[in-house]
Amino acid sequence: MTDRNIIELRGVEKRYGTFVAAAGINLDLKEGEFFSLLGPSGCGKTTVLRMIAGFQEPTKGSVLIDGQDMEGVPANNRPTNMVFQSYAIFPHLNVGNNVAYGLRGKAPKAEIDQRVAEALEMVELGGLQDRGAGELSGGQRQRVALARALIMRPKVLLLDEPLSALDKKLREQMQFEMRNLQQSLGITFVMVTHDQYEAMTMSDRIGVMFNGRLKQVDTPTTLYARPCDQQVASFIGEMNILPAQLLDETGDTLSINAAAFGRMEIERNPNVATSDRNMNIGIRPEQLEIAAEKPEDYPSTVQGTVSNVAFYGENIHYHIQVAGTETPISVSVPNYFHTVDFNRGDAVWLGLQGASVIDLGQSTE
Amino acid sequence: MIFRSEASRGYTLSAPATAYVGFLVAAPLVILVAYSFWTQSYVTLDKTPTLKNYRDAFADPLVRHLMLRSIWIAGAVTAVTVALAYPIAYFIAMKARKKTIWLLLITIPFWSSYLLRVFAWKLILGFNGVMNSALLMLGLIDEPLDFLLYNEFAVVLTLAHAWAPFAILPIYVSLQKIDPSLLEAATDLGNGPIRRFMRVTLPLTIPGIIAACLIIFIPTVGDYVTPALVGGSDGKMIANLIQVQFGAANNWPLGATLSLIAMLSVGFVAIVFVLTATRLGRRIK
Repeated sequence: MTDRNIIELRGVEKRYGTFVAAAGINLDLKEGEFFSLLGPSGCGKTTVLRMIAGFQEPTKGSVLIDGQDMEGVPANNRPTNMVFQSYAIFPHLNVGNNVAYGLRGKAPKAEIDQRVAEALEMVELGGLQDRGAGELSGGQRQRVALARALIMRPKVLLLDEPLSALDKKLREQMQFEMRNLQQSLGITFVMVTHDQYEAMTMSDRIGVMFNGRLKQVDTPTTLYARPCDQQVASFIGEMNILPAQLLDETGDTLSINAAAFGRMEIERNPNVATSDRNMNIGIRPEQLEIAAEKPEDYPSTVQGTVSNVAFYGENIHYHIQVAGTETPISVSVPNYFHTVDFNRGDAVWLGLQGASVIDLGQSTE
Repeated sequence: MIFRSEASRGYTLSAPATAYVGFLVAAPLVILVAYSFWTQSYVTLDKTPTLKNYRDAFADPLVRHLMLRSIWIAGAVTAVTVALAYPIAYFIAMKARKKTIWLLLITIPFWSSYLLRVFAWKLILGFNGVMNSALLMLGLIDEPLDFLLYNEFAVVLTLAHAWAPFAILPIYVSLQKIDPSLLEAATDLGNGPIRRFMRVTLPLTIPGIIAACLIIFIPTVGDYVTPALVGGSDGKMIANLIQVQFGAANNWPLGATLSLIAMLSVGFVAIVFVLTATRLGRRIK
């Protein structure tokens, strides 16, 4: 990744009549970066991607690719290529001709053949040139779509929900493969996804979108640890959100009185707007300790009752009903010893370190 | 209890259709083949099998001439109709918002009888017809044009108009089936609208084009009403000769032979066409 901006979005807005699909989008993407646009369906992330590709023109603002304003430049003349959600493999062409599609007429046949062979090798489909488009599995279609786009040597590769059509196992495998491919090629990848895990495992940075607005742009770890508000906090991973009162603040340390857990000291979150007297805090389920006896080495503790148990295999989720808050607190425990230690109705203790509590700023209610 | 097995249920359900096809298609065809090997002198039918009819038919230059002209006219009708239908189908499938209304509008000519439509063309193209009157009134010509009616041109024009919906519908269906993301992918890979059409849209609609061509070509080769009404002597086709054999000439065996020759010629041309079109489609990369 370099410091050079390959894509710059300047106040981009897209309206359909009165419906605002995207607005106020300002975004700089670095050369060689793997960037994901993450958000629920209908949040405008695909619209942003299609405006970069040139399939849609922004109503307002400008899209710059490699420093050049793309206004009036049609999709076929932009230095971007796209992997479509449906893969859009040409059904009347075999694998080799699909991959060669964009090079036909632009390079001599021998060069095309060689580049097709290399591209197919790269996506681990070496030698499948003559395979018909209809004879491919979902994963192979995805690889052909990747090869067909990458053979064009684009400055930016755009991926529209590239893994959503694959089953879970294949999806996880492809996440790593695509990440490795991107790093070895050094091409900027911009991916649209609604899957937070996909976005987190693959991306250098993630832009989270809600209702046509770009809420937060950060690295996966920062997004997880320092979300800018409750909406982002609960979209990225699971989050227990509790109300709290701000008692005192000294530097970056906030002294608060949280529901259920009582007084504690937490770190200020620089990403949230302000921390008002009435504020919210977030606690990740895996940051809570659950025990039968009161855990001594945790400064904040609360007693509760198990209301639900869900066994996920790699970890176990408990829902704990505690005094002081209506919604049960969700706790996730790694499955170390292949035992489920607590059952519904058991009385348990929850322990918490102030350092793992996330300041979510002023309450939005 | 007849409906106990899947198979017997299937046979029972298809029995009416099978009987229908048997009596109205297979049986007449068998009779036709039988007739073609018989001979007739005045009113007596000689049922000794002979190839005389076939020899006569192949020896007669008129038969060859009419057969070739029929194929030529039908081919011209097919080409003109499909060429005009494609843009219409493309507009409805790709651009139009109210597709159902457009499709309904296209079928409107069918609400009147075919004969009426042919007569309408006679009125339009005739010596004192709409076209000539209009051109005279505008001062573009000094005397009525006489090459509009009673020739091959009139036959092609009338048939192309009559068969347009049969070309539009299959092409529309094949255009409708194209996934829009394929067109976007072609654009994304650098194609402008024309290259994209030639490399994606056209090859994917070849099945529709082939269907449209066959639907039009096969019946028009044997068309008899249109050439009889607007064809004049220049526009006569093989079906008119066949009709004469079954009517005025009262030579059913020769009529049957000519019918079979026409059928086989059409079949041959159609097969060659389908194979060529499919092969051409595969060569587009």
